[in-house]
Amino acid sequence: MVKSLQALLLAIFTLLSLGAAAHNVVGGVYAIGSTIEGEVGFSNGDMAAEGTQIIVSDSRGNELGRVLTDADGLFSFEASQRIEHHFYADLSSGHVLQVNLPADELPDSLPGGPVSSGPVAQSEVAAFNGDQAALQAMIEKAVAKQVKPLRKELAAYKEKASLQDMIGGIGYIFGLCGIGIWWRQRQQSKAER
Amino acid sequence: MHIVDGALAVPVLAAGAALTVAGVAIGLKKMDYDHLPQVGVLSAAFFIASYIHLPIGFSSVHLILNGLIGLALGWAAFPALLVALFLQAVFFGFGGFLVLGVNAVNIALPAVLIYYLCRPGIQASSPKLAAFWGAVGGAGSIVLTTIMVAFSLMLSGEAFLLAAKATFVAHIPVMVVEGFVTAAAVLLIRKVKPAFLGLDEEKVYG
Repeated sequence: MVKSLQALLLAIFTLLSLGAAAHNVVGGVYAIGSTIEGEVGFSNGDMAAEGTQIIVSDSRGNELGRVLTDADGLFSFEASQRIEHHFYADLSSGHVLQVNLPADELPDSLPGGPVSSGPVAQSEVAAFNGDQAALQAMIEKAVAKQVKPLRKELAAYKEKASLQDMIGGIGYIFGLCGIGIWWRQRQQSKAER
Repeated sequence: MHIVDGALAVPVLAAGAALTVAGVAIGLKKMDYDHLPQVGVLSAAFFIASYIHLPIGFSSVHLILNGLIGLALGWAAFPALLVALFLQAVFFGFGGFLVLGVNAVNIALPAVLIYYLCRPGIQASSPKLAAFWGAVGGAGSIVLTTIMVAFSLMLSGEAFLLAAKATFVAHIPVMVVEGFVTAAAVLLIRKVKPAFLGLDEEKVYG
């Protein structure tokens, strides 16, 4: 008995560790300078089909443009205004992706939107004699390149439900059953009285 | 098989929610409370099944199990599946809260239909025939669910044939696997614990 239970548990845990991934739509957008790069795909690792249309709009729903994904499910959009960007992709069969890029992730050099990074950054940059805008763009590109894999990993981590989630869910279901049984018992003992 | 938030029109969402409420009400009314633990176990099985991906060749599938749940529970599949779908939305982010009603109907209604359609079949005295009906139930519930998913997408503006084809083709492996799993489960349960499917022991062995 104990042995068969062990075997069962082993089988379950082996199955769970086998790339347990949900079939959800995942995606993200990141600003690199004034270019917004993004990716869209499914949480099981498949990326969106090439040529999937991404609709870009502002916070009021006005369409700013449309872009298509490439073979790796990546797309890029050149922002012309420093406003919030909404991205919407329809991958059919009820799979849709909606992501936002807040305005403050876009560089201050774009029109629209106040400078929010404060005077400190301004004065620091002012000490450097040279092409500030070019330097800033270079820094942003370099940082974006470094941060990109981290972002990907973080997004994947967020999607991944842990064993605790599963056991928690099963616990909730059994708990609900327990409440049902208890309630039933009460009704019965009331009826007997 | 889960539709996510934002894909469907409001009237479809409302209709799905209303149908789910009705289904759950019937389910709770018809449920035999002595079988409450069984409802819980099957609900938990569904909750987990969608998370375990079985690799098959180039792709991977996950079981849905709504055929088996329908065969075992009948109308009680509604509350069982609603609870599991809700928890999947909470823990795994499958689907969403606004589409919970539509998803529940799309998965639970086929389960109930299978109950009425295949229930007499799995009580057949020949195990082969029972397994066949189990397979029909397992695969049939997926077929019905894909049709309902396509239908809810169509009501929200997507072309029915296109949506139906896409979901149907994507789920052919699931249908095959589900058919085998349900047939095997029916055979096993008939032998080991006929009461789990609410089967009459004398009928099965007679």
